[in-house]
Amino acid sequence: MKLSQTLLFLALGTASLPAQTPASESAPKKRVAAAAQEESVPQQVVQSRSLVKVNATSQSYNLHLPWQKESPSGRRGLGVVLAGNRVLVTGQMAADATYIELELPEKGQKIPAKVVAVDYEANLALLESPPSDKQKAFFAGLKPMAVDTSARIGDSVAILQTGRVGELIKSPLTIGKVLTRRYNVEGSGFLVYEANGIIRSEANSFTLPVVKGEKLAGLLLSYDSKNQVTTILPAPIIEHFLKDVADGNYEGFPSLGMELQLTQDEQFRDYLGLKPDEPGVLITAVMKGGSADKAGMKKGDILTAIDGFSIDSRGDYKDPQYGALSSSHLVRGRAYVGDKVDIKVIREGKEVVLKGELTRRKPDDYLVLPYLFDKGPRYVLMGGLLFQELSHPYLDAFGDERRGGAILRLARIAAHPDKFEEEGRKKLVFLSLVLPTPSAQGYDKLGGQVVTKVNGKAISDLNDLAEAFKSAKETVHVIELDEFPHILYLDTFNAERDNMRLLGGAYRIGSLKRLE
Amino acid sequence: MNFRPLLPLAASALLLTAASAQPAAAPPPATQPIDVASGAWEGIVNIDVSVLFPDYREPWNAGQPSGGSGTGFLIGKNRFLTNAHVVSNATRILIRTTNDPEPHPAKIVHIAHDCDLALIEAEDGSHFERLKPLDFGGTPQLNTEVIAIGYPIGGDRISVTRGVVSRIDFRPYSHTSVDSHLAIQVDAAINPGNSGGPVMQEGKVVGVAFQGFSGRVAQNVGYMIPVPVIKRFLKDIEDGRYDHYVDLAASDFPIENPAQAKALGLNGGGVGVMVGDVEPQGSVADVLKIGDVILSIDDNPVYNNGLVRYEGELVDMNEIVERKFAGDKIKLAYQRDGKKAEATVTLKRFDPYVRLGAQYNQRPRYIVHAGLVFQPLDRNLMDAHQMRDSTVNYVFDNFLTDKLYVERPEPVVLTTVLPDEVNTWLTPYAHSIVDEINGVKIKTLKDVQTALEKKDKPFIEILLLEKNRPLVLKRELVEAAHKRIMQTYNIQEDAYLGDE
Repeated sequence: MKLSQTLLFLALGTASLPAQTPASESAPKKRVAAAAQEESVPQQVVQSRSLVKVNATSQSYNLHLPWQKESPSGRRGLGVVLAGNRVLVTGQMAADATYIELELPEKGQKIPAKVVAVDYEANLALLESPPSDKQKAFFAGLKPMAVDTSARIGDSVAILQTGRVGELIKSPLTIGKVLTRRYNVEGSGFLVYEANGIIRSEANSFTLPVVKGEKLAGLLLSYDSKNQVTTILPAPIIEHFLKDVADGNYEGFPSLGMELQLTQDEQFRDYLGLKPDEPGVLITAVMKGGSADKAGMKKGDILTAIDGFSIDSRGDYKDPQYGALSSSHLVRGRAYVGDKVDIKVIREGKEVVLKGELTRRKPDDYLVLPYLFDKGPRYVLMGGLLFQELSHPYLDAFGDERRGGAILRLARIAAHPDKFEEEGRKKLVFLSLVLPTPSAQGYDKLGGQVVTKVNGKAISDLNDLAEAFKSAKETVHVIELDEFPHILYLDTFNAERDNMRLLGGAYRIGSLKRLE
Repeated sequence: MNFRPLLPLAASALLLTAASAQPAAAPPPATQPIDVASGAWEGIVNIDVSVLFPDYREPWNAGQPSGGSGTGFLIGKNRFLTNAHVVSNATRILIRTTNDPEPHPAKIVHIAHDCDLALIEAEDGSHFERLKPLDFGGTPQLNTEVIAIGYPIGGDRISVTRGVVSRIDFRPYSHTSVDSHLAIQVDAAINPGNSGGPVMQEGKVVGVAFQGFSGRVAQNVGYMIPVPVIKRFLKDIEDGRYDHYVDLAASDFPIENPAQAKALGLNGGGVGVMVGDVEPQGSVADVLKIGDVILSIDDNPVYNNGLVRYEGELVDMNEIVERKFAGDKIKLAYQRDGKKAEATVTLKRFDPYVRLGAQYNQRPRYIVHAGLVFQPLDRNLMDAHQMRDSTVNYVFDNFLTDKLYVERPEPVVLTTVLPDEVNTWLTPYAHSIVDEINGVKIKTLKDVQTALEKKDKPFIEILLLEKNRPLVLKRELVEAAHKRIMQTYNIQEDAYLGDE
């Protein structure tokens, strides 16, 4: 769903870009000059020696019929050649990819590539082509681009695109703001440059490089053609990603794992015992097992500083490069997993210094999976009853209109998973669909109920469920649900017989479960 | 659903155009011409109503005045039967007969929103003394002819349409949008204004016309309230009070699965339905458990799909409960863990249900404090405020399914923050469920009042459900602000908690 964002913005741009663009304003002068030389020397088009076209085919799994894949679709982007003949693209290019190839913009020569590293939260991926003569020849004329993290508010940058024969097309932009924002999967915010200016529309693309001078300043995240606002995935995040990849053990971006509330309201400050100009925000939730939790942070603490940076009532710190910026960047962007962190809080009126080590919460650590790429959703099929683990992509696939009843209930669990996590559940197993089989007769209108027990055993994930189905008392499976009708019975023998019939039957089921 | 009551105001334009677009069907052969002057139908009257729709957004205001008209008919001395939706929220009711232009002021005697029936009387009944009340018949057979009489749109005089009985079934009654009862479908044209009018067969009333489909959804589908439902209403009010329908407040789940039947200890025969859910505050809360099998209800065997054979027809087992009254007893035979048992249950109304349906003739209840408006959560509120907050929607949608009413019988919503210096940081928190105020758990609107009267701390502290920050107001600022806000926003009273 979210992957299409960039694509959509650019597509909109095609429709509404004004005829008069800044690029063409300066064009006439050059044209006059070029015309004079035309007869003697053909015009020299500027080529980029550091960009390659990237063509990816992606195919995601069907979230409602998880044994099946959706139809494949193509994505194009412009990758940046880095040292070691590696190519940087956005994570979206690598998501659910079945085939990726690199193409030289000018000559059109192509070679296949694979993903070396990908971080879907930071929306970055690194590609490479296995060494071969062809690969050597492909990269021979290419020159790695350096990463430049120096961009600041007010700096001029340019989005690069290539034309039909590989000619370089530059759209100049000015960075107007630096802030933190979620990229394209659930999770906390990353650093973003917001820039103003018109991007001329060449072709829909999932990756476009942004340069400052000759160096890489970021990758395009989104373009809003109506307001001419561009968001850019900035070089500091790219550098962080590349450093992490370089040590051979990719760990990702750390987070503190807490929720904070702003303290600008004077009455609220009074209530918390904060003096008018005192720094600090209220901590209202601390995620179990996160960095903040391990460092000893508690709900109700007032966070005043991280690593010596004072946190103001908006939750911002003063960044030496960008000015006021969300404190989340102190951890997410500036630090690495395993780094030490110093946190100052006020607890019961006294200042307390908390020391800890930064960790990252992996997608699998969440009760409700925040995103899922490259893998099929886990499922267990038993006698026509399809069980799945709740995930955000599953809920998103419903769209807003169909979010009634069961989906509304499941969506709320996804938004407030704490209670279920406290119960000791690792994942939320639910009955997602009932296929019409003889053993599931009478159950076909059910769907969306959370499974609590099977054959008397508590279910904390699908592995538990698969295991519990092996231990039926007598000849009946007893499945307990958290709501109407609360109990389902399934004949063990008939369910197995239906399982066999489902394999390769009308529903084209190749496997009765996916638990990897 | 597009299922709507025949409220003249909202639906008339839609239904009028839909009706005129239908091809003109050949009229059935005329049977008996009726001489309107003969007085045979003079007991069928036009009811003209002025209404005031309460304002759930500004609950201190009067609301929106409007009007409408429907039909009613004389069933006894100065007693006119009509639909509840015809006279709901009425501020003035006028009765007119077809041969007498004089309007006669009337008032509601009893109103039953759950079955969309009302009994009204003229303030001066003497005008109607010479009129003959209409008699009730029984439940008509399928494919027999009926006529609908009333004052629908298209003219001022009395109108007759003719059709046959198309279907007899349990149907949702759209007036409250949560109640379902027996309803009879007819193909006689039933249009806005017919509401409350009699549907007759062989000179006797066999139903009260009450709702239809929009012409865009279905053709020639009108519904009438059948005699059993009418009789039940009339019997219920015999003691001078309407006690509402009673409920088992348990959900049944069909036993179609062989493994299920076996596990529940049934050996074929198709008798018995599984209990899929039991409301902890309902009539059978102490008797039935999830997983029990209901075998019979008042000695009528219950089939595996929840139906019983009753008066010769297969009907939902709840039809037996439907005919009963608050305080009546019902006999249940059930099976638990393979053992048979019997119990007699006293039936009662299941109150949490009412909140989920539309309510009428009620002044909205509220409390305003320092610009914070607190209102009880119900359908009227949800509709008026177009609530989008996920917690509010969850609590409303799952009030029954997740038994939320047990902890919070009347959830209170912070619906509006009337902006002022004192609460300017709190405006984003409108549309939240109030969990606690000053340490008092908020279970009903009354608790808000009790909690706000606690003045032992320098701050008013409001905790919201699933919002991560307490709302705090400095008490020393609140009093002056409250007065100021009341004046600025033109609020006469800072609370209405109901007439108790």
